Amino acid sequence: MGVIKSARPVVIGLEVHLQLNTSSKLFCSCSTDYIGRTPNTNVCPICLAVPGTLPIINDRAVALGARMGLGLHCEIQNYSNFHRKNYFYPDLPKAYQITQYELPIAVGGYMDIEGDGGPKRVRIHHLHLEEDAGKLVHPTTDGRMTGAAYSLVDYNRGGVPLSEVVSEPDMSSPAEAREYVTRLRQLARYLDVSDGEMESGSLRVDANISLSNADGSLGTRVEIKNMNSFKSIERALEYEIGRQNKVLASGGRIIQETRLWDDSEGVTRSMRNKETASDYRYYPEMDLAPIVITDEEIEKFKEDIPELPWEKRERFARDFGLSKEEISVLTEQKELAAYYEGVVNAGAPPERAANWVRMEVLRVINEAGCSITGFGVKPAVLAELVRKIENRELSNTVGKDVLDLLVKDGCSLEDAINRSGASSAKLTGSSLDGLIATVMEANADVVGVIKSGQDKKGGKAKFLHGLIMKESRGQADPKEAAEALSRMLEL
Amino acid sequence: MKMSVDREITLRMARAAQIRVAPEDVDHMMDSINDILSFCALVGDLDCTGTPDFTWRMKKRPSRRPDITRDWEDRERFKEKAPAIDGNFFRVPRISSEV
Ligand SMILES: [Zn+2]
Repeated sequence: MGVIKSARPVVIGLEVHLQLNTSSKLFCSCSTDYIGRTPNTNVCPICLAVPGTLPIINDRAVALGARMGLGLHCEIQNYSNFHRKNYFYPDLPKAYQITQYELPIAVGGYMDIEGDGGPKRVRIHHLHLEEDAGKLVHPTTDGRMTGAAYSLVDYNRGGVPLSEVVSEPDMSSPAEAREYVTRLRQLARYLDVSDGEMESGSLRVDANISLSNADGSLGTRVEIKNMNSFKSIERALEYEIGRQNKVLASGGRIIQETRLWDDSEGVTRSMRNKETASDYRYYPEMDLAPIVITDEEIEKFKEDIPELPWEKRERFARDFGLSKEEISVLTEQKELAAYYEGVVNAGAPPERAANWVRMEVLRVINEAGCSITGFGVKPAVLAELVRKIENRELSNTVGKDVLDLLVKDGCSLEDAINRSGASSAKLTGSSLDGLIATVMEANADVVGVIKSGQDKKGGKAKFLHGLIMKESRGQADPKEAAEALSRMLEL
Repeated sequence: MKMSVDREITLRMARAAQIRVAPEDVDHMMDSINDILSFCALVGDLDCTGTPDFTWRMKKRPSRRPDITRDWEDRERFKEKAPAIDGNFFRVPRISSEV
């Protein structure tokens, strides 16, 4: 955090687009499932703008927009409507985008984040609904992107419902901007409003950034687009702070403009021909009735809101006595939090269960490249394993082996314990001596150093002890092993 | 207030809308636009004092569509009607400012 120290205070506001989790598009019945589809198959006369067609709004898109608005503590509007945002660009077959402009569905609100200097509240200006555009493909000629005189367009994505969350300029660093987007994505996922994948484009971020003037007044605002990952949000904003500081320090002026982030070059570039708000010639969409949401409906939406991330964090702290760090990892995804609760509800001690889910379960998931929903070990089984470790029936080391066996072979817990060799008796007495002798033999040089009295601080002896514990797969008692080692080294 | 357009404004509107108008059609287009403007002026003359805004008078909630998908079976026809296609894509003019 805070890689770049800006000479002037930084002011950042974000516009976040979320593709809503609907099956059909915002104004027609075409499927929203466009990833990997044959181009122009999820299309119909409405989303291709055939004259004479009428859009009709998707009920679920309205519900999801309101739901996200409620999660952001916004005021849901009883009456909102759509406008046409005009611009000539071939990814829009109508030459305008249907979007909410004057009267958005949700207004006001806030999102609490962990700011650079502690808890921080980012105010939300509003949330509005709009349709996504199609996708342009620029063919190459002779391997050059600039060669062809035409572009190709796929309208499968055109008309997919989006909600745009517009924040107030309340963030003061790239790290805070990233944290805000992280929390927003978490909220969208908790609410099942959007999958929030930046990689696939279901979450997109535009940033407005300015540096304050010496007298404290706001500087000229620059808009940054084309940031395709969490890392690139931070990098692009850091670059832009550096660029603007340099321009101002050399007596230059910041131009109000839109700049594109180039991830491979690590720079922002001015985007020419950007149309300004007045050029969009917004006017009311007369083909669509306004969205009327009754108070009863808003109440219903409120009742449907599940436990939200911050509520879960509070409850985990209260009920399980976990640290902030543990809670943050366990509640990042609601599926992982549910798994952890399943383990605790099945009788595992909360703290040890937290440790196991956080370290071991996540390790296995990461190695397998799957998600917690694809994790094969049932919470009750992990609970039993964790209880055995808590009761010292199994060591931690053996427990990890047992978990790996459970995951790999899908066998029963009993089987896995038997096969891990943990059911044999504790390693003690002569068998422990035998193991120590083997380790000493394999490390004769170390033993030589110790015996010649050169191991004054005992570091070499500790090294041998560690090897013995590792070789015993946790089945030896550390104290007994240390005593036996001393005896055998004749110390 | 009644507005009207002349030939020059008509041509400017056509340019703004990116429509090509043949010279012999300009007068006809100008007359059509003026007819529309006259009708707007006529409606504007109505005394609507005390008449509430129409959209606010809806007693019933405007209908919404259930979130159900349906394939448009006749979609091959879009390709037949398109000015230019390239495989499954529609071919469109390249925007000059594009990278
Ligand atoms: Zn459609």
